[in-house]
Amino acid sequence: MRFVCPSQVLFRCVLLLLGMSLALSGSAAEPGPVIPKGKGDQCVADTDFMRRNHMDLIVHQRDDTVIRGIRDEAFSLVECVDCHAQKNANNEPVRIDAEGQFCDSCHAYAAVKIDCFGCHAAVPDSDKSKRVGSNQWLPHKQLLAFKPALPPAHDSSLPMQLDPNPNLQLNTVLERDRNELISTKPE
Amino acid sequence: MIDHARYATLKPRAFSYWLLLLLCAAMVGIGGYCALAMEHAGHIITGMNNHIVWGLPHVFAVSLIVAASGALNGASLSSVFGLPHYKPVARLSVILSMCLLIGGLLVLVLDLGRPDRLIVAMTTYNFRSIFAWNIFLYTGFLAVGVCYLWMMMESRFNRHTVVAGRVAFAWRIVLTTGTGCIFGFLVGRNALDSALLAPLFIALSLVMGMAVLVLFFVILDRWHSPVLNVQLLQSLRRLQVWFLLSLVYFSVVHHLTNLYATEHHLVERHTLTGDLSGVFWLGHILVGVLLPLSLLTIRSINVGEISRLVISALLSLIGAMALLYVVIIGSQSTPQTLFPGKTVLNSQFGDAGFSAYQPSIWEWGLGGGGIAVALLLCLMLLRILPLLPERLPEIPTRPDRSEK
Amino acid sequence: MSSSAPNQNNAQIARRSFLQRLGLLGVAAVAAPALLPTDSNGQITTLKGVSDKHRWGLLIDSSKCAAGCDACVRGCNEEHGISSTGNDDTDAQWIRKIDLKDNLTGQLSSLPMMCQHCDSAPCVDVCPTGASFKRADGVVLVNKHTCIGCRYCVMACPYKARSFIHEPLTDQKSWAPRGQGTVESCTLCVHRIDEDNEQQPACAVACTDEAHSAILFGDLNDPNSDISKAMVERQGLQVRSDFDLNTGVRYTKL
Repeated sequence: MRFVCPSQVLFRCVLLLLGMSLALSGSAAEPGPVIPKGKGDQCVADTDFMRRNHMDLIVHQRDDTVIRGIRDEAFSLVECVDCHAQKNANNEPVRIDAEGQFCDSCHAYAAVKIDCFGCHAAVPDSDKSKRVGSNQWLPHKQLLAFKPALPPAHDSSLPMQLDPNPNLQLNTVLERDRNELISTKPE
Repeated sequence: MIDHARYATLKPRAFSYWLLLLLCAAMVGIGGYCALAMEHAGHIITGMNNHIVWGLPHVFAVSLIVAASGALNGASLSSVFGLPHYKPVARLSVILSMCLLIGGLLVLVLDLGRPDRLIVAMTTYNFRSIFAWNIFLYTGFLAVGVCYLWMMMESRFNRHTVVAGRVAFAWRIVLTTGTGCIFGFLVGRNALDSALLAPLFIALSLVMGMAVLVLFFVILDRWHSPVLNVQLLQSLRRLQVWFLLSLVYFSVVHHLTNLYATEHHLVERHTLTGDLSGVFWLGHILVGVLLPLSLLTIRSINVGEISRLVISALLSLIGAMALLYVVIIGSQSTPQTLFPGKTVLNSQFGDAGFSAYQPSIWEWGLGGGGIAVALLLCLMLLRILPLLPERLPEIPTRPDRSEK
Repeated sequence: MSSSAPNQNNAQIARRSFLQRLGLLGVAAVAAPALLPTDSNGQITTLKGVSDKHRWGLLIDSSKCAAGCDACVRGCNEEHGISSTGNDDTDAQWIRKIDLKDNLTGQLSSLPMMCQHCDSAPCVDVCPTGASFKRADGVVLVNKHTCIGCRYCVMACPYKARSFIHEPLTDQKSWAPRGQGTVESCTLCVHRIDEDNEQQPACAVACTDEAHSAILFGDLNDPNSDISKAMVERQGLQVRSDFDLNTGVRYTKL
C-alpha cells in the first residue's frame, strides 16, 4: 500500500504558494521605501555612508556610552531621533519607529527588526528644562555638523573593488573621526 | 568488549503510542503559545513579580535538568559500575537524559525576559558567573551524550564505551553540582547560602533519574516487549531505596544546620511551619520520601512488582518537584535581612513580610510544554534510532542479592 | 577568508587574479594594526571616558531622614520616567523608604534603600553575559543591550535593589532608556555624572529641596571632597557590612 505523507503534501503546497507569491511580487514594480526627510541640510555623515553603516555607528556609540560614559557625540541615538522624528498634523511628535516613519519605512522594506525603541525614547524630549529640582542640569545638546571622511573609493596600489576589510576601514574612520570630534569640541 | 546484542527501532502498533505522541504535540503547542504570550505581553501575565522573580517555570526547568542528569544513571550503572543487566537499556538511558535536558533548557530559555537574545548568552560570557559555566556544562553534556551514544551504537567503537561512560558520569556529577551551586552561593538569601545544596541536588538527581527511568522502561515495555526483566526491576528498586535515603539525609542535615543558626530561623519558620509547610511536609517528606520508601521496602504491601515501582516513581517525582518549589520559591518569599538587630516597621517594597506567589496558567503551560518537548523528542528518536534491545540477555539470578 | 572578499563580478574573475587578491588580503590583515587610530603626530590616541580616578558614592544621614517623607523616591521616579501602574509588586523600585525600629532600644529610624554600588558586587559576579557591570568610576549598571532578563542578579542582590521590567514601556526619557524584559536599578544618575561631575543625583536634589539634606553625593576617592570629609567625621557605615562588599552608598547612624 502506498502511503502519502501528509507533511510532504503540505510542504509542496507551501512551496507552490511561495513561488506564486514571489512571481507576483516580482511582476509589480517596487517603488522602494519612502523616507521622510530629517531636519537640517545633512546628516552626521553622507547619506550613502549612513544607510550602510548606521547600525555599526549606533552599536559602537552604545558601548562607549554605557560602559565608558561618553555621551556627547554626534552618533548618539538621541540625536537620530531629534532630527528624524516627524510631527503630525497637530504638531505632536510621532514615534520614529511608527509605520511609515523614518526608521520603519526602510526597516519594514528590508524586513529587519528594530531593537532600539523598546527601551529608548522614540520621540524627541518635549521639555528638557523640566527637571527634578529644576537645577542647571540639561542633557547635552551639541550636534556638530560633522562629516566623517569616507574611506577612499579605491587605492591605486590595490586592484579595483577590493575592500580588504570593510569593518577595519569603518573602525578606522570611526576612531579617527571620534578623536577629531573630541579635540574640536568646545569645552 | 563488543556489544553483540541486537537493537531495533520502535515499531509501534499500539494505539497508546500515537495517543501519547498526539498529547505531547498538543502540549508542546500549548507551551509554545504560553511562551509567545509571555514574551509579547511581558511577565506581567505570570504570577512572578519583583519579589518572586524565579517562579514555576524555574521549578519545571530545574526539575527537568536534574532529572536529565539522573536519567544517565542507567547507562553509568552499565559502563562505569559494570552491572550487566543495565547494558541493554543503556542507550535508552542516554537518549532520555539528553531529551530531558533539552526540554529543561527550553523552558529556562523561553522564560528569559529577552529570549530573542539567546545569541548574546551563547556568545558573551562572564566566567565569574556559575550561570555562564552552566551554559558550557549543559551544551557539553549534550555533546558528551552524543559521543557516548555513538560509541555504544557503532560496533567498531564499542571498546571506547567505558571511557565515554566515565566521562559522561563525571560530567553529570559536575553538571548537577553546577545546578545546585546556582542556588548555593547566594549570600544575600538566607535560604540559599549553603554549599549543602550541591550534594542535595545530586541526591535529588539520583532519585528523579531512577523514577523517570522506571516510568520510561515500563511504558516502553508495553510497546516493545523485552525491556524489563526481573534483575532490572530488583536493581531499580534497591537503588531507589538508597537514593531516597540519601536525599532525605541531605535534606535533614540542611535544615538542622539552618535551625542551629539564628539568622536562618525566619526562613526555617517559613518552610517548616509557615506558608510552605504543606508543600514541604506533605509534598517533599510524605509523598516524596516516606510513601515511596515504604512502598519499596515493605513487602507486605500487596501490589505487583511493576505497580510498586511505578507508583513510587510517580510519588517521588511529585515530591522532588515539591522540594524544588520549597527551595526556589521559599528562598524568595522570605524577606531578606537587611538590618540585623532591627525590625522593619514599614517598607515601600516588601521588606517587612513574606511575599505571596500564585503561579498563572501561562507558567503551568510553559513548564508542561518543556516536559512534552522532552517526551516528544524521545518518542520520535525511538523510531529513528535502534535503541531498544531485541532480546534481553539471560543473566543468572543471584539468590543472595535478589531480596533486600 | 576568501568568503569575505566581495566578488561583485565574480563571473569574470580569473583564478590568477583571485589568488592575487587573496595574497593582498593576507597583507592587509598583517598590516591591520598599523591602521589603528592615531592622531596627527602618529601617536596612538586614547579615548576619553570614565576612569577609576573617581569613585562616586552617597552618604545618607539617617538622622536627617524623616519618616513618612519620600521626596527622594518621587524625585528618582520623575527623573527616570518610572510611573506607577498601581501594582507595587511588579513596578520598578529603584529606591524605597524603610522605617526601622531597634530591637533592643526601640529607637526609630528611617532611610532610603537603593543599589549600594558595591565594589565587589554580587550582581556583577553572577551575570552570565556580563551585562551587569561596574563602571571604572564605581557605578554599578545594567547594560540593557546585553541583558537577557534571566534575573539571576535579582536573586543575588543582598539589598533587593534590582527590578525586572514586567511589561512594555512607552514614553521613556531620552537619558534613561528602560524596557521590557530587562533588569534595572539605581544608576546613581549616571547621565548627570557624565555631564558634569558637580551634579547631584535626583534623589539628593529632591531631599535638599525638601530641606532635609540627608543625601550627600560625591567622590569617595578624593580625600578633600565633602563626602570624604563627612565620612571620616561621622563614620559611614555599610548595610550588611558582614558581606564585606565595600559599598559605595554609606549610612550614618544605622
